[in-house]
Amino acid sequence: MEYFKSGLKSVLGAPQPGSQPTGAETVEKLVDRVTSSTLLEDRRDACRALKALSRKYRLEVGAQGMDALHQVLEADRADCEIIGYSLDTLCNITSAEKFEEENEGNNVHLNVNVGEQFTEMFIKNPDNVSLVLSFLEEYDFRVRWPAVKLLTSLLTNKPKDIQDIVLVSPMGVSKLMDLLADSREVIRNDALLLLIQLTKGNANIQKIVAFENAFDRLFDVIKEEGWMDGGIVVEDCLLLMLNLLKNNTSNINFFKEGSYIQKLAPMFEIPDNIEEMGWSPQKVSNIHCVLQLVRTLVSPNNPVQITSVCQKNLRNANLLEALCNILMANGVPADILTETINAVGEVIRGNLNNQEYFCTVMAPSNPPRPAIVVLLMSMVNEKQPFSLRCAVLYCFECFLFKNEIGQQQVVQTLLPSTTNSTALTTGQLLCGGLFNIDPLSNWFSSVALSHTLIENPAQKEQLLRVLLATNLGSQPVSLLHQCAVYLQQTNKLQSKIGMLMLLSTWMAHCTPAVAIFLNVPGAMAFLTAQTSANEYDNNEELLQGLCAFLMGICVVFNDNSVQNYSKENLSQLIEKRVGLETYVSKLGEISRHEVYAKAAKQPQIKAKYTNDLLLEFEFCKLFKALEGVIVKTLGAQKQLSNGMTELSLSEQENGLLLQYKDLIRDQDRRLQDSNRELRAVAEERDILKAQLEELQQTNSQLQDQNTLLKAQLSAGAVSLTSENPTEPNVENIENIALQQKLKQLEDENVEKDAELERLRKDQDDLLELLTDQDCRLNTFKNRLRELGENIEDDEDSDNNSAGEPDVK
Amino acid sequence: MSYAYLFKYIIIGDTGVGKSCLLLQFTDKRFQPVHDLTIGVEFGARMITIDGKQIKLQIWDTAGQEAFRSITRSYYRGAAGALLVYDITRRETFNHLTTWLEDARQHSNSNMVIMLIGNKSDLESRREVKKEEGEAFAREHGLVFMETSAKTAANVEEAFINTAKEIYEKIQEGVFDINNEANGIKIGPQHSPTNPSLPGAGGQGGSQGGGCC
Repeated sequence: MEYFKSGLKSVLGAPQPGSQPTGAETVEKLVDRVTSSTLLEDRRDACRALKALSRKYRLEVGAQGMDALHQVLEADRADCEIIGYSLDTLCNITSAEKFEEENEGNNVHLNVNVGEQFTEMFIKNPDNVSLVLSFLEEYDFRVRWPAVKLLTSLLTNKPKDIQDIVLVSPMGVSKLMDLLADSREVIRNDALLLLIQLTKGNANIQKIVAFENAFDRLFDVIKEEGWMDGGIVVEDCLLLMLNLLKNNTSNINFFKEGSYIQKLAPMFEIPDNIEEMGWSPQKVSNIHCVLQLVRTLVSPNNPVQITSVCQKNLRNANLLEALCNILMANGVPADILTETINAVGEVIRGNLNNQEYFCTVMAPSNPPRPAIVVLLMSMVNEKQPFSLRCAVLYCFECFLFKNEIGQQQVVQTLLPSTTNSTALTTGQLLCGGLFNIDPLSNWFSSVALSHTLIENPAQKEQLLRVLLATNLGSQPVSLLHQCAVYLQQTNKLQSKIGMLMLLSTWMAHCTPAVAIFLNVPGAMAFLTAQTSANEYDNNEELLQGLCAFLMGICVVFNDNSVQNYSKENLSQLIEKRVGLETYVSKLGEISRHEVYAKAAKQPQIKAKYTNDLLLEFEFCKLFKALEGVIVKTLGAQKQLSNGMTELSLSEQENGLLLQYKDLIRDQDRRLQDSNRELRAVAEERDILKAQLEELQQTNSQLQDQNTLLKAQLSAGAVSLTSENPTEPNVENIENIALQQKLKQLEDENVEKDAELERLRKDQDDLLELLTDQDCRLNTFKNRLRELGENIEDDEDSDNNSAGEPDVK
Repeated sequence: MSYAYLFKYIIIGDTGVGKSCLLLQFTDKRFQPVHDLTIGVEFGARMITIDGKQIKLQIWDTAGQEAFRSITRSYYRGAAGALLVYDITRRETFNHLTTWLEDARQHSNSNMVIMLIGNKSDLESRREVKKEEGEAFAREHGLVFMETSAKTAANVEEAFINTAKEIYEKIQEGVFDINNEANGIKIGPQHSPTNPSLPGAGGQGGSQGGGCC
């Protein structure tokens, strides 16, 4: 503190004598210096001082300094020291925890979560988060470490917002993943914590983290830290893996495909001298996490195919064996044992191979007993912890789930033929548990036994053969009979409810069981009395509901072999003694009850206190399936019985009824007629359809033929032309035509020639004639001249123009 | 199951082009005509053989919707191969290829092998993008190209395997740094060059291998 004070003095200058500056004033000055100093050294010193004050004067620093600190982050990136101070300061003011120093001094104590408020302020601009993310890339310890811490702090306060921002920042998750490879352990470990926060409940981030080889990195770290004996870092790694896998089918698939299941093996190696070494609390935590991890892979909530492949892989990697070893080892803490039993249960649940393996596991006791027997011994033992007993029941249920052979084996141990063996059997333990004085044992055993009967009609009938020797000398009674008697005798609610669930499961879909039950003296009377009772406390309404349910089962699965309690009689009984409406509402009590909602949620038996154990998962399923059937059956019975009471109606009503009956009969007849007609029409339609089909077939055949013929035709034509080419013919014809034309033209030509010749001749003749005329003309002229006539020589000159003018 | 190499793939492309169906056909050999929209990213895996070597393919099938783009971008960096898918019956999915390619090139390592896939080749009658156009686009951008049908399984196997072959060749040529897992390639446990020198690790690997099938 002295150091800080001297540091402060050097930054702020010596305080003025007399007046001590308040925290707020100091902070204001420092903030001012951070924003306005031009020298880096000054800003850096001021930042360092702010950091020193940020715990005690958190409110002041946060309120005044946020912008300044942000400005430093943007402007002074190059200086690692000042960035470190700034990040550290932000980390302090946004921290979710309260600092001791905070309440000192004179600042007002506020009840609000200061860290969250400042976080909100800081992330209002998402770029701020990106800025911090970018500092993760800086290798310098002074920057990287506070950046990791600041992000963790922001995540703690505003997980959703930060997750969204990281998801959209480019390479945001990748940057965080790179931190796991940092050689400085502090950073690596803090990065683990950061990733645990970041992956909580965000499937997209979980997938990206897995994609970035998270499982490889984490297994590397776990190996480095020494597997199970490693410290809290191993636990952190496992917690992160759990986050990545929980409810994330894609990642579970990836985990399985990446052969990471096999890599879990060293986690289960228990040293031989574990009893001397003891279980350190860290080791207990670590193994707890691994068991959780295994259970996440094979959770009944996963898709079936994923779970069954994981179950197979776990067995092939010898992890089921390792789990069973823990189960049978000495000195294992109870809570680990409980969780291991649960884990074994889920690894074998519904997987026949694993169930068969589990069957063969022997406990190292003397004499050696099957593990199942040893476990059931704990279940019916009052001295064992409650949660352990629940786990055993769950494990036993998982062993029987979809396992007809296992169910048969358990029932077999109760049948007369095998009683000569002296060894303690599962069946004996359960029967003992059914009727001992511990109500919880009764409940556990009833539920366990009911699971040997689920969806297994053969075992329901086999179990009817089981006889119990009660008192010496008296007749042995059947197990079902004894259950029905015990139901009436016991005054413990838990035992009664257990019995009712067992009987319901047993008698549903099993008419012989119903018949035996109906023959038990007082059984029906008990159910009727309970169903019509009106108490509403201590979960009595649940008991009433269950009794109503069992009555309903007696109606629905009744083969009328017991005279007094035929289907009809029983429905009348319900109608008259209880009333249908009351009955239905009593049935409804079951599903309205809060324990129903809890039990129906998951197969695992989960309860804090022994008294909370009332209903069970598989029974809830049965109830859900049958409730509607029962109500429907009773309704139908009621309508039937209405017909029976027609004698009680008045004459007028009777008349009306008869009228209606006639009407109905008429309608019925018409309906039948219509039906007949419909059938005829349908037949006709069928015939027509057949015909149509036939026709269509012929049609298509014809079409085919047609096509074929066409094809053949065209093929034929082609072949024809190729054999006797027609083109020459055409040419010939053309030729002939041409020749004819030519001839014609020649003829014409000859004719024309002839004509021409004639014309020429004519012309010649004419010319000759003309010359002749000329000559005669000249002769006449000459004669005329001779005769002394003056004659113009016009024509002469014209005619003899060539030589005559010169002569003149 | 032991393997010589492990390759990480991503499948990208517009929504509804059949990315998830391609993956389902490749990993489970079945076709689901009605498929929900992929939310974020889904994972699938299968073993193949190339050149006599077992190669494990881990495939991340991404959501095509714009809203998931920032999430799917996180997967580019660590992938060795990418299948860029469009729908031959919807031209706009082809038109968007450039954007996808830019995005992929920007965020991935430069050696990532990208295979261009024209899916739904069974719907010839509704075809809007010619095969030649796909080929031309691939040639122009240096991609491998194929038309597939997730419905009939035509070329689906080939698409994934040819991409792996390409990556395998690049490894043989020494282009990929196989020791850097950020490239999306891992060497199998038995094939790691550092392992055989450690007898303890080798023995453990053997016993684990024996137990698993």
